[in-house]
Amino acid sequence: MKIVVAYKWTRDPEEASARPDGTVDWSRAKPGLSTYDPVAIEVARQLAAETGAELIGVTVGDKGVGTPLACKAALGRGLDRVVTVEDGSLADAGRSELAAVLAEVIKHIGDVDLVVTGDSSMDVAAKMVPTVLAGELGWPAVAEVTSVTGKAGELRVGREIPGGAQVLEISGPAVLATSADAAAPRVPGMKDLLAAGKKPVEHLDLAALKVSPQNAVMTVTGRSLPERKVRKGQLIDTADPAQAADELLTALRQAGAL
Amino acid sequence: MSVNAWIIVGDQPTVGNLVTVARSLGGTVGAVVAGPRSVAEIVASSGVDKVVWCNAPDDVPAEANATALADAVAADPPRVVLAGRNPGERVLLGAAAARLKAAVLTGARSVAVEGDGVVVVNAVFGDIADETVAVSGPVALLLDGGSAPSGDGASVPIEEVSAPPLGVRVVETRTHGFDQVDLNAAHRVIGVGRGLKSKEDLALIEALAVAVGAEIACTRPVAEGLNWMGKDRYIGSSGARIAPQLYLAIGVSGQLQHMVGVTGAETIVAINSDPNAAVFKETDHGLVGDLYQLVPAITAALK
Repeated sequence: MKIVVAYKWTRDPEEASARPDGTVDWSRAKPGLSTYDPVAIEVARQLAAETGAELIGVTVGDKGVGTPLACKAALGRGLDRVVTVEDGSLADAGRSELAAVLAEVIKHIGDVDLVVTGDSSMDVAAKMVPTVLAGELGWPAVAEVTSVTGKAGELRVGREIPGGAQVLEISGPAVLATSADAAAPRVPGMKDLLAAGKKPVEHLDLAALKVSPQNAVMTVTGRSLPERKVRKGQLIDTADPAQAADELLTALRQAGAL
Repeated sequence: MSVNAWIIVGDQPTVGNLVTVARSLGGTVGAVVAGPRSVAEIVASSGVDKVVWCNAPDDVPAEANATALADAVAADPPRVVLAGRNPGERVLLGAAAARLKAAVLTGARSVAVEGDGVVVVNAVFGDIADETVAVSGPVALLLDGGSAPSGDGASVPIEEVSAPPLGVRVVETRTHGFDQVDLNAAHRVIGVGRGLKSKEDLALIEALAVAVGAEIACTRPVAEGLNWMGKDRYIGSSGARIAPQLYLAIGVSGQLQHMVGVTGAETIVAINSDPNAAVFKETDHGLVGDLYQLVPAITAALK
């Protein structure tokens, strides 16, 4: 059995800021493994440990995603090897383009039984790359996955649905997007990180993958800051809670909020 | 110019906003339903021009009909495909986008037809900036679905396609026991953060919610890590986005990914013991202090 974890090496918008012209300043944001990807790796690692599957990390993106630092950060969490596609032309790639590249990498690896991803990427957070990837592969996708057991061809998948949970049986290959709290990721120790440096890394050339082109071209024609309401920013003295409460209610009634 | 649109539906007929957006594009509006027949029947009365339903066995989840749904969409290729922000709909929209080789955008604030293209104002990176994106070719949009149609509108006929399922079967379904909520319908919302020390202390918040007439919501860790509430109650860039008259943030630090969910609120009040909490930068009325004293005081003052 082969399990692929598709992960992202990217930056956190909490560390970015928007300039007045609507462009985004990332200069203070350090790249790292996307927040929820360690959860995906942990879910996949546990399944791999039970089934003896090979666990392969895949990432595609801009310059930097294939650096030793980035690969070790992923490998240190228990992947057996990683396959990367690092290309400057992917810096501004849309969800569909990234999914199409990932699909070609998965075909290149061959005989993949399962693709596991995180809940969402920390930068774009569209939650769409796994679903377009499944569409490209012609596989089913399931999101909000909380558990995976069984083996290839006989997977039992727990997932959350609005208002509850379900158990699914999946008889073929699939793409599973884990929920943000599907597993508690392990923090890699020094031994894991040292071992990570010795694990195989394969860098694929984007042009050689022959990714079929998209039918849509996106052109950014303008950037701006979102309109935000101007907040009053009034602080109410809380030395006497009862008085503070009265003052708050008066203000809220004046604002028509009560 | 006008463009045709397909609306993608899974298990829930919450398509009101999708129909409004699709109609504004001026072309024909179809809906393809991968969920139960009952959902297709409700959608047929939502104001769309046609409905296609993917007929599959009952124990097959909507997502497993993704290929049949993509086939139906590709048979009459649209310029715009729309779906609501549920996990199932995301999967179905992805299948349609892959088939059409369409662009995918998930932060649309507005969608318009201009010349030969579709122009989308799209919020990016946790909504810190907006990009105006001109799309030539097909585009798939993930939007807030809106409410379900009342069902008393005129119905269009339902065309049926058989769906060869993708090898997925539901073997067990259970409810999580949390009350479901539509935060978008609430005029007042109280958001609870990690400043609350224990789940039992939610009683304090519930008392205030009753007094003020508010729904209770929370930050992501409260629903996801602590599991004190259902996930439909967390607010933020990946959760609910609300625009109530009043948002009361209690014990909420005010991280970007939470606050983008309440930027539309008319009035924001924050209670936090940390005077430097980021939440105070985006509040109308801030109370720096102990929520265990202030919340009961406000509840009492309302009585």
